Amino acid sequence: MSEKKSTVIIVDGDHPPILTDHSDTILESLEKQNIEVHYHCREGFCGACRSKLISGEVDYKTDPLAYIDDDEFLPCCCIALGDIKIKLV
Amino acid sequence: MKYTTFNQKPTNPLLEPMFFGNPVNVARYDQQKHSIFEKLIEKQISFFWRPEEVDVSKDRVDFQSLSDSEKHIFISNLKYQTLLDSVQGRSPNIAFLPIISLPELETWTETWSFFETIHSRSYTHILRNLFTDPSAIFDDIVVNEQIKQRAGDISKYYDDLIFYTQLWQTQGEGVHTVEGVAYTITMRELKKKLYLCMNSVNALEAIRFYVSFACTFAFAERELMEGNSKIIRLIARDENLHLTSTQHIINLWQKGKDDPEMAEIAEECKDQAKEIFMQAVEQEKQWAGYLFAQGSMIGLNEEILCQYVEYIANHRMSAIGMGQPFDITSNPLPWMNNYLNSDNVQVAPQESEISSYLVGQIDAEVNAGDFDDFDL
Ligand code: FES
Ligand SMILES: [Fe+2]
Ligand SMILES: [Fe+2]
Repeated sequence: MSEKKSTVIIVDGDHPPILTDHSDTILESLEKQNIEVHYHCREGFCGACRSKLISGEVDYKTDPLAYIDDDEFLPCCCIALGDIKIKLV
Repeated sequence: MKYTTFNQKPTNPLLEPMFFGNPVNVARYDQQKHSIFEKLIEKQISFFWRPEEVDVSKDRVDFQSLSDSEKHIFISNLKYQTLLDSVQGRSPNIAFLPIISLPELETWTETWSFFETIHSRSYTHILRNLFTDPSAIFDDIVVNEQIKQRAGDISKYYDDLIFYTQLWQTQGEGVHTVEGVAYTITMRELKKKLYLCMNSVNALEAIRFYVSFACTFAFAERELMEGNSKIIRLIARDENLHLTSTQHIINLWQKGKDDPEMAEIAEECKDQAKEIFMQAVEQEKQWAGYLFAQGSMIGLNEEILCQYVEYIANHRMSAIGMGQPFDITSNPLPWMNNYLNSDNVQVAPQESEISSYLVGQIDAEVNAGDFDDFDL
């Protein structure tokens, strides 16, 4: 069951765009490409992975409890709904 | 305003501020002004664990094999953590409960503090296993200069808020003289004390444990003191949740989503609040210096620990609008993440006996990229 893949564009650092699908969280997709993202809990409650969501939409698989600002998201517990543009740290 | 344990005046808790509104009457959780606290209560309760369920017996043998400088590092960290949890096991209750106005925040505070008492109990569990009589360790906590210095900074904001609240609740606003000293009590002043206190607690939950955590997990990387490491992983998971709660409280204030006067105070006390955090960072770095004064331990040194404190501080300061004051951008101790994730942190006594348990897990993660081509 191969899902439609979405593109994740990372604006900081020197990373090429990566692909993600609905079976991986965005954090997992980034890690598979050896892109360092800070994490602790991987369950949405600590905020260690907090990053900026510049454009696009994500869908949380776990209710995010960590504090995030309006333009931020938690890559450890969501998947991309279509293409997204993000900024790490 | 006099505190009452059951406020008989009908109130609408959906309209109350988090603090300094009417005292809470009915403990009801079917509705919340700030639903985040209800979610945090549920999450924290789902983490429930008991120190006795973790087998620390192998640690006794490991401890004997440590060098003197490593023993100093291990024991000093336990002393410092004991201090932190002694304070946290009582202070949120004593300082915040008398001035909280929302049932969900009241219960969150009690749940939070209760877990801090589990942390304290786990230090006794660890020390009792290492020493026939751990009294000398506990007794040193109140006289050790390094620890006392930190204790003073940690408790002073709580003590200040508690004292001003007591004056206000017994005598109201105005100038009151106690033991020859005049104190001016105004609601504005009380709220400032609260704001600074919350910032001090936030800094405590955010960074004060991390030098100690890093040492514990560095021992575990060498398959040493793994029972202790297992307990510290459970504690670290709880601390991350506590931090989330103080970050929410501070942001609700700063963004004017609770008491509008607190938004003004947040702006007014911005520099002071940042100073509290920076001071905590400084003290943690000094603590790293104290730990390694008698010699290093394999895998860690003072410099890298200080970088790690700065790295964590950057993340956690930016979460409450303080920016990222330190230059460091990449994690100097990436292996720490493996110990701080909540997968596989459940209490199962047999696990602490499988020395390769966590090491195996880390290897598995390093190789995750190898499975890129798998399509499920
Ligand atoms: S890693 Fe904890 S919220 Fe994402
Ligand atoms: Fe604690
Ligand atoms: Fe805590």
